Amino acid sequence: MSTITLAKALNDGLRASMEGDAKVVVMGEDVGKLGGVFRVTDGLQKDFGEDRVIDTPLSESGIIGTAVGLAMRGYRPVCEIQFDGFVYPAYDQIVSQVAKLHFRSGGRLPMPIVIRIPFGGGIGAVEHHSESPEAQFAHTAGLKVVACSNAADAYWMIQQAIACDDPVVFLEPKRRYWEKANLDREAAPAPLLSSKVVRDGTDVTVLAYGPMVKTCLESAIAAAEGGTSIEVIDLRTLSPLDLEPVYASVRRTGRVVVVHEAVVNLGIGAEVAARITEQCFYALEAPVLRVGGFDTPYPPSRIEEEYLPDLDRVLDAVDRSLAY
Amino acid sequence: MPEEPEFVQLLTPEGERVEHPSFAFDGDDEMIASMYRDLVLTRRIDTEATALQRQGELGIWASLLGQEAAQIGSARALRPQDFAFPTYREHGVAWCKGIDPVALLSLFRGVDQGSWNPLETNFGLYTIVIGAQTLHATGYAMGVQRDGAVGTGDDDRDTAVVAYFGDGATSQGDVNEAFIWASVFNAPVVFFCQNNQWAISEPIDRQTRIPLYQRASGFGFPGLRVDGNDVLACHAVTKAATQRAREGSGPTLIEAFTYRMGAHTTSDDPTRYRLSGDLEHWKLKDPLARVHAYLTRHAGLAEDFFADIEAESDVLAHRIREGCVAMADPHVLGIFDKVYAEQTEELAAQQAGYAAYLDTFETQTGAHA
Amino acid sequence: MTLKEFKLPDVGEGLTEAEIVGWRVKPGDTVRVNDIVVEIETAKSLVELPCPYAGTVADLLVAEGETVLVGTPIIAVAPEGADVPSPQPAAEAGADVPSPQPAAEAGVDEAAAALAAQPSAPDDVAGDGVVEAGLIGGAAPGGRTSVLVGYGPRTTEAKRRPRKGAAAPDGGPLTPSPEGPAGRVLAKPPVRKLAKDLGVDLLAVTPSGLGGVITRSDVEALAGAPSPRAGTPPGTSAAPVRPGGETRIPVKGVRKMTAEAMVRSAFTAPHVTEWLTLDVTRMVELVERLKADREFADVRVSPLLVVAKAVCLAVRRTPELNATWDESAQEIVVKHGVNLGIAAATPRGLVVPNIVGADAMGLHDLAAALGELVGIARDGRTQPAQMAGGTFTITNVGVFGVDAGTPILNPGETGILALGSVSRRPWVVDGPDGEQVVPRWVTTLALSFDHRVVDGAQGSRFLADVGRLLSDPATAMLY
Repeated sequence: MSTITLAKALNDGLRASMEGDAKVVVMGEDVGKLGGVFRVTDGLQKDFGEDRVIDTPLSESGIIGTAVGLAMRGYRPVCEIQFDGFVYPAYDQIVSQVAKLHFRSGGRLPMPIVIRIPFGGGIGAVEHHSESPEAQFAHTAGLKVVACSNAADAYWMIQQAIACDDPVVFLEPKRRYWEKANLDREAAPAPLLSSKVVRDGTDVTVLAYGPMVKTCLESAIAAAEGGTSIEVIDLRTLSPLDLEPVYASVRRTGRVVVVHEAVVNLGIGAEVAARITEQCFYALEAPVLRVGGFDTPYPPSRIEEEYLPDLDRVLDAVDRSLAY
Repeated sequence: MPEEPEFVQLLTPEGERVEHPSFAFDGDDEMIASMYRDLVLTRRIDTEATALQRQGELGIWASLLGQEAAQIGSARALRPQDFAFPTYREHGVAWCKGIDPVALLSLFRGVDQGSWNPLETNFGLYTIVIGAQTLHATGYAMGVQRDGAVGTGDDDRDTAVVAYFGDGATSQGDVNEAFIWASVFNAPVVFFCQNNQWAISEPIDRQTRIPLYQRASGFGFPGLRVDGNDVLACHAVTKAATQRAREGSGPTLIEAFTYRMGAHTTSDDPTRYRLSGDLEHWKLKDPLARVHAYLTRHAGLAEDFFADIEAESDVLAHRIREGCVAMADPHVLGIFDKVYAEQTEELAAQQAGYAAYLDTFETQTGAHA
Repeated sequence: MTLKEFKLPDVGEGLTEAEIVGWRVKPGDTVRVNDIVVEIETAKSLVELPCPYAGTVADLLVAEGETVLVGTPIIAVAPEGADVPSPQPAAEAGADVPSPQPAAEAGVDEAAAALAAQPSAPDDVAGDGVVEAGLIGGAAPGGRTSVLVGYGPRTTEAKRRPRKGAAAPDGGPLTPSPEGPAGRVLAKPPVRKLAKDLGVDLLAVTPSGLGGVITRSDVEALAGAPSPRAGTPPGTSAAPVRPGGETRIPVKGVRKMTAEAMVRSAFTAPHVTEWLTLDVTRMVELVERLKADREFADVRVSPLLVVAKAVCLAVRRTPELNATWDESAQEIVVKHGVNLGIAAATPRGLVVPNIVGADAMGLHDLAAALGELVGIARDGRTQPAQMAGGTFTITNVGVFGVDAGTPILNPGETGILALGSVSRRPWVVDGPDGEQVVPRWVTTLALSFDHRVVDGAQGSRFLADVGRLLSDPATAMLY
């Protein structure tokens, strides 16, 4: 058992995948010599060479488009998009090609491509470096979308995503890159496309993914002091959603709050709320509440803490739910 | 744009062989006769498919009329291991790569989105997003490099990739990014641009101020222009370019200067944006006519050779028609199985739910009428 | 190669057949999509039909002057490019194409002609805003409109496809069925709110809905249960009274039905009420005598019983009071038997069960039936069937100490008699010493009747007859 940062856990996971399969190639801007702007690919080019760890031109559409060709030739490209706000030039290749080629070809052209994207806010950055575009990808048929929240999950999930024969948009919570957690490399990991109860509770179910999981765990600690018992579930997979554990929890607690940094309007929480309402209608003591971003672009960094959902906003929603 | 542009030409519109300082056609008359057969059959496929669209058997058809030589010439220069990435109009390249023309039709009929196996035929699926395939081709070529299939000297192993695209595509970001990647990584990819002068209704001077082939030098690799209606020249330049790629000398841009004699697709109306005089001018440069003239005049081929090909084209047309109208619609429930390599519970549940819903109706109907 | 058959379409408004008036083409003619090929006559007008196919007319399947059903094939067309018996493969587009020559100079001409459905002609040739078939916005095969990139849109019908059998009540297979949670009550949000408002504990409710779901009426049943104390006014519920405010009682159950019936009756039938105040001392004496009679020991005898009998007798003379107004048939339906309704106050509200065939019963049987009816009603066990089919109603407001009223007809009936309290009042009596004012047993009858059915004379006569039977029961001998 070791204690390790989320970024290092990803590095170790990438290394393990590259050692296990010679067809895995890592490609992106500054991933080689520099080791990535978050050091997630640190040391990989030195160990695996320039042919397998590729510093690409400044060309996001090119990164994903050439990855399609590499995949057709039998490779397993792991693409890095340097920041969430810069995925958009590659958007067409992602949704029109990567997402659709398996379908278009009747299964003859699988796309075992991983697209790693640091996402979310809370790092005091300039514009375009704190986005939450996950709903757009989750809404695109043909992609799988996952988000790790901690180092242990990151280590396993990146390897599982690389091993998956379908395209995976792999979201990494950049504000949590330096958070440490215990990692047991011998343990059998949970399946990639599964959600997980990360704290048991009885009064309210709180759902989160990525950077908000930690926020919700802290909220649960604070709530416990006040006598409220919160069950926290890490969704982990956004497409497909794994909601059976969520339904089981809601049927016990009767109350649920979904939390994400992304804009509330038409976000992941909206889909989760709709499904919970369908499946747990008679169990609900209160409507499904959502906590998330406002309908504005991400604000300047000096006020981002007031924009992002925090412990108080989460518990405010919990209180409102309990008031029903 | 000069009236008669400078380009590589080895066979004049009148059917006379001419020489070029840098390129020569290295095949014999038998090969030329065989290419003529390819040209005629390709044109016949195109004609028949157009008629089928008129009759409602195809939803759409993108005609290659006038571009046969660019496609047959370049495709005949490829080795079996070379991979071609088409747009959606390369029916002649498909023909040379051994794709059954009936298989081409299913996409246009709307029963699937591409029915051949690219990995077995080394011919990519038709790609409708303009220019996207040039990046795929470049990435594939980078994979070829990593497989060590470049510059070994082994003619059966060294592999070239050809990316086909049109003049309009050269304005797309993806195509320009592909040029950058191909040059920076010295990838074994030939960019074959069929400049047919039109992107739906927009003429070439809306895409570029300079001859397209000159773009390549801006990106750092060679470009050349060839008479796109000259099957011998197209063959020669493609052979040379793919050889360069195979040897490890990197990409080439070939601009095949030709003309889209038909409409963009079957319900386009070119009379709205171009003059019939242009069409007349290009009819005189017909790719089939010049080969016919050469074979008659210089290869000593007689009437029966041509008659046999006509007869063969009739048989082919009939087979295409029969194959097309016999194509059954797929069952909608099949789409749930095609999304992922690893099926999800969610999709399986949706499929089952929809199947149960469909079962509540008295008759099963395909929605298409 | 198969010929395409054009079937006679429904050109609108549910056409079922049409006559072929005149063909505009003959076999061998070339047709393009949308060319007019025939004129037909429908029930309303002459209609020209455009051909949905391009090609060569192979056969006219119906002769001029014949009438055929919608759906009958009327013309067969060999589609263009098909193997119509002709040596030339260049039958495409119906254009004039030179026969193929060995020199392929003609090749591109042929092909180009084949491609240009309208060579060099702009669309909207006719200048009438109609785009030529095959061009963007023009007609496309299959009744669609041509687009650049596919078959084009088609128009749809506002009609559902027929389903097998009845639709599933739970919403069908696409609706996920909610699972019951462990250890929790199943109730939809509106039901939960109702329970909260009524102060009902959901855990105490017995669910009657599918899957153990608590329904609205389950909650109401628990809320509206009869109080064990007698005299609880019917229709109220156990709603908590908020200090200094108002109490809201949901309209449901019996009260709801009563309200609806009153509205229906009051605002349909023109009500007239007539009054008669009587000296019923002799009726009271009769009641006392019967009570003491051994034959009537097992039944309850009351003024109400005598009034019931009186009504049944009076109906004989004025049967119109035992009728109903049939609006749709525009008929007055006089009923032959009297199903005598007795308005009863029950814990759940007002109910009006009736005694079927009251007019055929002797007094003792009538007493028994009356006693049974009242007993059942008091227990709240009156069944809906017992309340149906009444022909006349008596309402006894006297038990409340009330003189009289203006009763509202039981919907569908023509008369209702209110019996007031029987009490001691001063009365003018003619005696051997002349007129004297003496205390007598006096009551007031109020008869409301439907003035569409019954006029004043009839109503008055009926009321007078009932009155005389009560004031002088011996007059029953006259019936």
